[in-house]
Amino acid sequence: MLRLAASRKLGWRLVSRPDDELIADALSGQPAAFSELAMRHRARVERLCQRFFSDPEIARDLAQECFIRAYTGLSTYRKELPFGGWLRAIVTNLCYDELRRRRRRPEELVGDFTAPEVQWMHLVSEATPEQIVAEAEQRREAHALAHRLLETLKPEDRTVVIMKDSEGMNVREIAQAMGWSAAKVKIRAFRARQAMRQQAERLQIARHRLKP
Amino acid sequence: MNCFEARHDFPAFWRRELSADRRAALNAHLDRCAKCGQAFRVFALTAPVLHCESAAVSGAAAPREFTFEPRARASAPRINASYGARRRWLAMCASALIFLAASTGAYFAASAPAQSLSEALTNPQDQSGQPLFGPELPDSSDDLAG
Repeated sequence: MLRLAASRKLGWRLVSRPDDELIADALSGQPAAFSELAMRHRARVERLCQRFFSDPEIARDLAQECFIRAYTGLSTYRKELPFGGWLRAIVTNLCYDELRRRRRRPEELVGDFTAPEVQWMHLVSEATPEQIVAEAEQRREAHALAHRLLETLKPEDRTVVIMKDSEGMNVREIAQAMGWSAAKVKIRAFRARQAMRQQAERLQIARHRLKP
Repeated sequence: MNCFEARHDFPAFWRRELSADRRAALNAHLDRCAKCGQAFRVFALTAPVLHCESAAVSGAAAPREFTFEPRARASAPRINASYGARRRWLAMCASALIFLAASTGAYFAASAPAQSLSEALTNPQDQSGQPLFGPELPDSSDDLAG
């Protein structure tokens, strides 16, 4: 009985080993330990990449690159910080670099909306909050339109919005992760909100012109 | 519930993480307050990306297995980009040096004397036979005597 309990305990320990242990193993030359670590954080990393890029292929590539960077730079990881936070800083920097590398000019939202997108805009303007939340889960166009709206922002503004709103990071954490000053983060957040409001107003105008 | 609390609860409301009481309070506030109602509609435009929890909602098909193999496509462009930038800088520096050398050479070629001073002193007549310091006076010149 005791042996069974002990083996279960050992098994559980093997299944859910803490990040620090896996990192130590990976640093001592066991790539399998890092693989386990990557599997553990993969969903979060990919989700964050998908918030930056609507193309799933790009998001997946960036997630891969993030883990490669994490693996090659694992010796620079400090134990005082949580591994997830360290990984998140790598992802955001990577996505920010990719946004800048693509160097697409922030696009204006033009009137080439698809019919489902126009329907979604009407629904957001007229339905109750409960209906909006319920519908958003099922509508893919809601996701597409949100990405289009975010693409109108500059890379810096978009990065700050994603880190602040999606990841719930505060100004100090964003500044630390990106290597920016706190003032810059605040300014970027303010400008991003302003730009989003303006774009939403333009959408309202466009909605009046377009009938579902 | 005041406006600040209401707006603070937007993400949790979107993710359906609010308790029933809190949710009802927020709905009531959004009915009453036009500004918060409008703010929620702006929030709802980006929330499907910023506040969705599952990757499936985003329409992205995540790979079943994470393969820890460096993809050439993922890593190559960045390396090439830095290498390309370095090459561009080198090319610019090299062309600037060549331009500097060519312009310096052209300047000295245009302004250099045909003979150096030492050559002029030791060989007062140039190659065409013309004296450097003017024609010599004849020995029996009476003009000077007057």
